[in-house]
Amino acid sequence: MWTKIKWGIRIFLVLIVAGFLHYTLPQHDIVRITNTYNKLTPIGSNRMFYSIEDSGTGAETTSTTRDIRFIDAVFPDGQSVMVYRNEDTGWVWPPYFKYDSSSLQAEATNLKSDKDRPQWVSVTHYGWRLPIFSIFPNAVGVTPVAGPDVTIIPWVNIIILTFLAFIVFMIRRMWLQFRERTIDPALDDVAETWDDVEDRADAARDQAKGFFGKIAAWFGTWKAKPKR
Amino acid sequence: MIFGWIRLFVFGFVGLTVIYWLVSVYSRSVRRETLEKRFDAGDVEGDRDAYIEQGMTKYEKGLRKRLIWLVYIIPMVAMALTIYFVN
Repeated sequence: MWTKIKWGIRIFLVLIVAGFLHYTLPQHDIVRITNTYNKLTPIGSNRMFYSIEDSGTGAETTSTTRDIRFIDAVFPDGQSVMVYRNEDTGWVWPPYFKYDSSSLQAEATNLKSDKDRPQWVSVTHYGWRLPIFSIFPNAVGVTPVAGPDVTIIPWVNIIILTFLAFIVFMIRRMWLQFRERTIDPALDDVAETWDDVEDRADAARDQAKGFFGKIAAWFGTWKAKPKR
Repeated sequence: MIFGWIRLFVFGFVGLTVIYWLVSVYSRSVRRETLEKRFDAGDVEGDRDAYIEQGMTKYEKGLRKRLIWLVYIIPMVAMALTIYFVN
């Protein structure tokens, strides 16, 4: 029972971390851009899945309804589609430091193509498309690619994940070193002090045994002698 | 925008300073432990404390200690690269 709870909590934490990374790290989609447009978008409790007004306008945090640039795209299978939003990320989170949404929109518009003469592009983006909450992945970059089958090696993710693993490893090393050099000696001290206290208590008890033993022996003299 | 910049730099600087401090404490501790173990292995002549103190003085001036500045440098380079490649 207890083990199950413990494993449940662990799995839950791993899922949260994995989900967080999956949302934040960049991914590439090979798509064909079909449309680019602005849409006046009210933002409510799905606020955390949106970014900010254009950085530098001073309206970054105040508005709840604003024009957001969108990019419509279709995947190589010709059926499944994706809608990207195209927003500045500003200076906080996620740390893409993107402030060229307008230029990105212009590039995307330039790369628009139709079914007959497709121009495939790789859209770098982060985030999820969850229609039920009206949230969209944020496009970070577009680059034209040769065809729908190109493979893109996610170097950025490889580097970031390796680095994160290194940091976790170092935190563990640092914690172990701290425990070995600082906590354990302190605990040893406590243990020694405690041993001293116990020794003293033992000694006192021995003494008391002597003292009360004597009194008990003295009381003993009042007891009736066993009858003959 | 300026506000965002300043906020990022102030909090980033504070955060990185804490990390720098933690890493330098860790690195010093590891160095000291290595020196202690080397002495206790019995290859070294002389006084234990003096040997360790000498080694630590050497460490304070060495390359390894200066490498901890990477704690500040790597995030800044990463940020500059991100800004360059994203925009």
